[in-house]
Amino acid sequence: MAVLLIAEHSNAALGGATAKALTAASQIGGDVHILVAGHNCAGAADAASKLTGVSKVLVADTAHLANGLAEDVSALIVPLMANYDTAIAPATAYGKNIMPRVAALLDVMQVSDITKVISADTFERPIYAGNAIQTVQTKEPKKIITVRTATFAAAANGGSAAIEKIEAPGANGKSSFTGAELTKSDRPELTSARIIVSGGRGMGNGENFAKYIEPVADRLGAAMGASRAAVDAGFVPNDWQVGQTGKVVAPELYVAVGISGAIQHLAGMKDSKVIVAINKDAEAPIFQVADYGLVADLFEALPALEAELKKAGH
Amino acid sequence: MKAKKKPLDVKKPEDYGVDMTPRLTVLKTTEPATRKAGVKVADVADLVNKLKTEAGVL
Repeated sequence: MAVLLIAEHSNAALGGATAKALTAASQIGGDVHILVAGHNCAGAADAASKLTGVSKVLVADTAHLANGLAEDVSALIVPLMANYDTAIAPATAYGKNIMPRVAALLDVMQVSDITKVISADTFERPIYAGNAIQTVQTKEPKKIITVRTATFAAAANGGSAAIEKIEAPGANGKSSFTGAELTKSDRPELTSARIIVSGGRGMGNGENFAKYIEPVADRLGAAMGASRAAVDAGFVPNDWQVGQTGKVVAPELYVAVGISGAIQHLAGMKDSKVIVAINKDAEAPIFQVADYGLVADLFEALPALEAELKKAGH
Repeated sequence: MKAKKKPLDVKKPEDYGVDMTPRLTVLKTTEPATRKAGVKVADVADLVNKLKTEAGVL
């Protein structure tokens, strides 16, 4: 039977995580149908229909789905599951909000955070903060899966799937959308950035992030991240946190500045292609995973790095 | 100690209609591929140079 992929989108556009989850969905086998649940979401539906490997796009377009509330979206998915064996979503805040509710309503056990598809019912997933990889087989009649997007390449554009409108059940009424406070930034988003510059406790305070990390990030067109220590100390906002309890990222270049490299932080970034560590403590565990380590005082190294990048034409 | 005199009923999950059969089988657990420690660079210029030429990410 077909696989139902729940699209993460902003109504106007499709989130990058969806294309990555599509790669995982395609590996499961069978047709892949994408569900776009939103309001005025023609833009997202069009983008979904153009992805390679999609055979049908289901669009539920009503006002109460505009903000992707778990109660309303799961009420839409559960009856649809009569036609599908597997529902899959990216393990982002959106997918992690909706899928457990779908699983509970279907009375099945969810398989979370898969990193590899071995067969239609067997998957690999990290456990113990990435310290072990477990291969699990599910016996559930309906498989509810979330995908760790960092380990799957994004599906390419080039398809032309049919778009089918479906009816959504009425608003659930248990929850309603009151508002969203989003941090606006010209920088790339952490989870999709090609380059990330992260700071840790070694930065000392929030001003130093702006003074030392920002110029380097600007030169590289990079996103800015932080370790939990820096977030807990109030240096930077919560949504900057990279790690086990923050965001899991896999950029091409990850620059860790003043981060010692606690296992919880490594869990969030060790899939990066190239890791650079700048730390004055030569014994810091971050150097054990870094491709390039620079033992230096970050307050001298970062301005020097910025100057060097400028010289190199960045 | 009144609590000690209270009868202690032993119930099975089935008594409540709960199915406890494991639904997920763990086939194997392996160690993740470890990253090898890389090289230490001497200074910032060396770092930028290596990122450009060796790693090709800049």
